[in-house]
Amino acid sequence: MRDVALSALDRLDGDAADADAAFQMDEGAFRIFYDRTARPVWAYLARMTGDPRLADDLLQEAYYRFLRARVDHDNEAHQRNYLFRIATNLVRDVRRRPRAEAASIADVPRAADAADPRTADVADAAALRVDLARAMQRLSPRERDLLWLAYAQGSSHDEIAAALGLKTSSIKMLLFRARRRLAALLREVNW
Amino acid sequence: MIDCPREADVFEAVAFGRWPAQAPRELQAHVAGCPVCRDVAVVAPAMQGDRRQLMRAAEPPTAAIVWWRATIRARAEAAHTAMRPMTMWQAVAGTCVAAVAAAIVAGVWRAGIAGAAAADLLARLAISRAPAPLAGFGVEQAMLVLAGVVACIVLAPVALYFALADE
Repeated sequence: MRDVALSALDRLDGDAADADAAFQMDEGAFRIFYDRTARPVWAYLARMTGDPRLADDLLQEAYYRFLRARVDHDNEAHQRNYLFRIATNLVRDVRRRPRAEAASIADVPRAADAADPRTADVADAAALRVDLARAMQRLSPRERDLLWLAYAQGSSHDEIAAALGLKTSSIKMLLFRARRRLAALLREVNW
Repeated sequence: MIDCPREADVFEAVAFGRWPAQAPRELQAHVAGCPVCRDVAVVAPAMQGDRRQLMRAAEPPTAAIVWWRATIRARAEAAHTAMRPMTMWQAVAGTCVAAVAAAIVAGVWRAGIAGAAAADLLARLAISRAPAPLAGFGVEQAMLVLAGVVACIVLAPVALYFALADE
């Protein structure tokens, strides 16, 4: 048992090439994959947790678990789905924990709104975002996940099912209910 | 009706920034009469706008930093895994040492009692030839041994718990 454990240590106790052996992809491939996925995953984590600092931590954790998982991926879409599944599980873990004092996600978009040339009225844009955040908070965690993946991420039903660990056949109905609820909540605040 | 074949068209128009101004009139007319697409036309722009803003605000660490942290953590976990059996054997050895020490103490104590009992026996024999009160000695000895065994049984898991507590 010790020999096995020490051989694992030996394998990792070297240069970057050793680390490559412990992960499911090499550093070059990871950089490409990370650059394509980090921002969408961060946005998902930030919206689902409501805490940008926590999203930073969860982002690191998500990629670590992704790298350590020995899973054969057919293509990048499969890798992305798998990453979102990890992120979803992390968010679920966070929801189960007692909530500590967190930075508000409402602080994040204001700076972004100011830099957005398409936003004619910064105050209005911020207000709309607060309305959306409040409406999202009134949905169940699963409804939030579904709606984000479907309408923010643009994922297909198959991809949503893979990311959330649900049956594809149930996505249509779940999404319909979630969408109807959110639309009603947004109409209440004159969207 | 829980879905609509035009739902994807509405979402595409939203995602590419064509909704509502640059969307075909026919699609706009459809949305006006379709409850499913009407909901999509409310929800999708809100979610897309939110995502756009969040992604613009996102400042994730570089891939190099995330990779480096992951490498460090993987090494630390491997080291921890390698140390784990050593820690367990150290705990077992510690428990054995404690048991031996307890046995020695019990032996010394027993020898003291036996010596005292023998001296008492000789004195009684010399004086009155009456039988020595040795009947209770065997029970007392057995109680001591039993106490030692119980102590070891209790100590071993406690020692293991503290040795492996950080895991």
